[in-house]
Amino acid sequence: MSVSRTTVLGALALSGALLLSACASENNSPAPAAGGSGSSGSTGSTDCFSGNLKAEGSSAQKNAIDEAISVFQTKCADATIDYNPSGSGSGIKQFIAKQVDFAGSDSALKTVAVDGLVEADDAAKACGSPAWNLPMVTGPIAVAYNVAGVDKLVLDAEVTAKIFDGKVTTWNDPAIAKLNAGVKLPSTPIKVYFRSDDSGTTENFTKYLKAAAPDAWSYETGKKWTGKGEGKEKSAGVATAVKGQDGGITYVELSYAKQNTLKMAEIDTGSGPVELNAESVGKTVATAKPVGSGNDLALKIDYATKEAGAYPIILVTYEVVCSKYSDAAQGSKVRAFLTTFASDAVQGQLEELGYAPLPTEVATKVQTAVKAIS
Amino acid sequence: MSTLTREGRATGDRRPRPQHEDQRRDRRRDDQVPDEGATPPGQGPDAGPLAEMGSPQRGRAVKDAVARVVMWGAFGVVMIPLVWILYTVVSRGVHLLLSSTWWTNNQRNINSGDVGGGARHAIEGTLMMAGITAVIAVPIGILTAVYLVEYGRGGLARAISFTVDILSGIPSIVAALFIYAVWVTTFGIERSGFAAALALVLLMIPVVVRSTESMLTLVPNELREAAYALGVPKWVTVVKVVLRTAFSGIVTGVLLGLARIMGETAPLLILAPYTKNFQRDLFSGNFPTLPMMINQDRGDIGLAAAAERMWGASLTLILLVLLLNLVGRIIARAGSVKT
Repeated sequence: MSVSRTTVLGALALSGALLLSACASENNSPAPAAGGSGSSGSTGSTDCFSGNLKAEGSSAQKNAIDEAISVFQTKCADATIDYNPSGSGSGIKQFIAKQVDFAGSDSALKTVAVDGLVEADDAAKACGSPAWNLPMVTGPIAVAYNVAGVDKLVLDAEVTAKIFDGKVTTWNDPAIAKLNAGVKLPSTPIKVYFRSDDSGTTENFTKYLKAAAPDAWSYETGKKWTGKGEGKEKSAGVATAVKGQDGGITYVELSYAKQNTLKMAEIDTGSGPVELNAESVGKTVATAKPVGSGNDLALKIDYATKEAGAYPIILVTYEVVCSKYSDAAQGSKVRAFLTTFASDAVQGQLEELGYAPLPTEVATKVQTAVKAIS
Repeated sequence: MSTLTREGRATGDRRPRPQHEDQRRDRRRDDQVPDEGATPPGQGPDAGPLAEMGSPQRGRAVKDAVARVVMWGAFGVVMIPLVWILYTVVSRGVHLLLSSTWWTNNQRNINSGDVGGGARHAIEGTLMMAGITAVIAVPIGILTAVYLVEYGRGGLARAISFTVDILSGIPSIVAALFIYAVWVTTFGIERSGFAAALALVLLMIPVVVRSTESMLTLVPNELREAAYALGVPKWVTVVKVVLRTAFSGIVTGVLLGLARIMGETAPLLILAPYTKNFQRDLFSGNFPTLPMMINQDRGDIGLAAAAERMWGASLTLILLVLLLNLVGRIIARAGSVKT
């Protein structure tokens, strides 16, 4: 193939453009243009560090931690923080393999053996000190659906369990119709999508089904989906799948349901249908009980809550950290960043991203625990 | 690849033979047809002399027409996805590439829903990674090919050749997991750009070996014999005559290898997590690359800004490979032996 003169010229022009642009300024301007991160809530002095910090894990908290990273990096120009949203399971594995400085997880480290491994023990071994679970963000899980002509849908735990177990297969099934008097349901088959990767969202959703509808949901709870349906990767995968499929239904974090403009079912806990909003989620978070000891702040959520107006399907996402890092510099970096993340200023911004703020009592404890990281 | 055919025709030592064999086989098959089944009128051996004179020509004309239609049809079918892909990527991604910051900035502090920032970190990362991979893989690949063609005889050469065949069949994810097992699980070193480059080396070596090997075998033996007749040592003959003659073909092979590894994603997913910042350290920290940028933004495809960035990064990657090919062709042409 002979090279024509024009292609040679084109190549030269393109490489020239690349070379020229090398001289221009590189980093983006300090204040992010969008994102709504107002600088009003300054947290006072931030311990800046230079160098990088690596974290990996839950995709449910990605949008929240991205916001916190933006805030921190804006203040500290030399700091680089990377969060790789590869899923809770993967995050904890990489944390135990010492590949990341801290992990994001939708469930606290297990203290009982799963497949012969005790996560909490392995993490403590990797750290050389006990690992702590610090609740940082609470995120509601939406039961998102896409049924043509149905804008409002009420489900209860039992029907939800049956749908996700493949026992209820069409949208006009009497079980659904009973909860939705006056809604015209089509005979479209129900298409269930689940998370194919190890996911904390799956774990919290199955915990809800198990707690609130023990008769209808016979499977074990866990990061791997055990019900029926078709697997899609990551939160974005299930959300996009439902968006493109009439009759589709899935469980996904509120922020992803919002991004994809999916309709969300109201949940009937026994005291009337509850819509998913900050207030209804806050009511459930307030009932959560700490189960960890000392600065390990694992929470236990009452999924079977019957409190009026409380939306029961939520997850608490944790940062899994070492209580004492073998490298003191690493510890101070983690402490500096998490201080910003737990600060009222950042927490206050999370609501518009589709998360619920931590109850004040919990937030204070988290801030104390973060200070104790060394 | 075009160089291959051109040189193949120029030296013309191998290609014609198989063709003759094919024709002979075809003729044999034609001979058998009348014995086996019903003979169409006017085509069998019993047909009159007139028909015998006219019909083979008509038959050939028909065959020619059919072959031409099939060929153009196949060409058209191949072009459909190519044009479609290019159109989609260009139409959705081009406006980002024209924005002022795309070639100069990184994605630091740009959350997935935000617009702005650029892809320079990923472009630099991809080029750095391709560079380090080529620096390791090209010498190994070329030297292996030189050994196989010029020196290797017997069992060892056969074993190496066989190993290269196996290596070229290894899926990229397996190469990545192998490096992960050695790098992270066994030695406990952190994931980094260099670890991913090592996995890419495994994928690039067989491509370079095979293409260089075929280029070296195309160098006419007369050239080697002429060099020996002048008393030139063998290694000088290899360096100054054989490699020199095959230069443009070798460059093409290296480029094919680079084009393959630059878009490779599996090793990056496992060994080099993405960062939105500049990263000039290959040995520690996350590493930005264009395929990972595409993958990251694909995760937030529901957001318009992320989807745009994904298409922009895709187009950038395509342009980068294209640019590399053009530069390589210029080098190959400048360095090729004038005949």
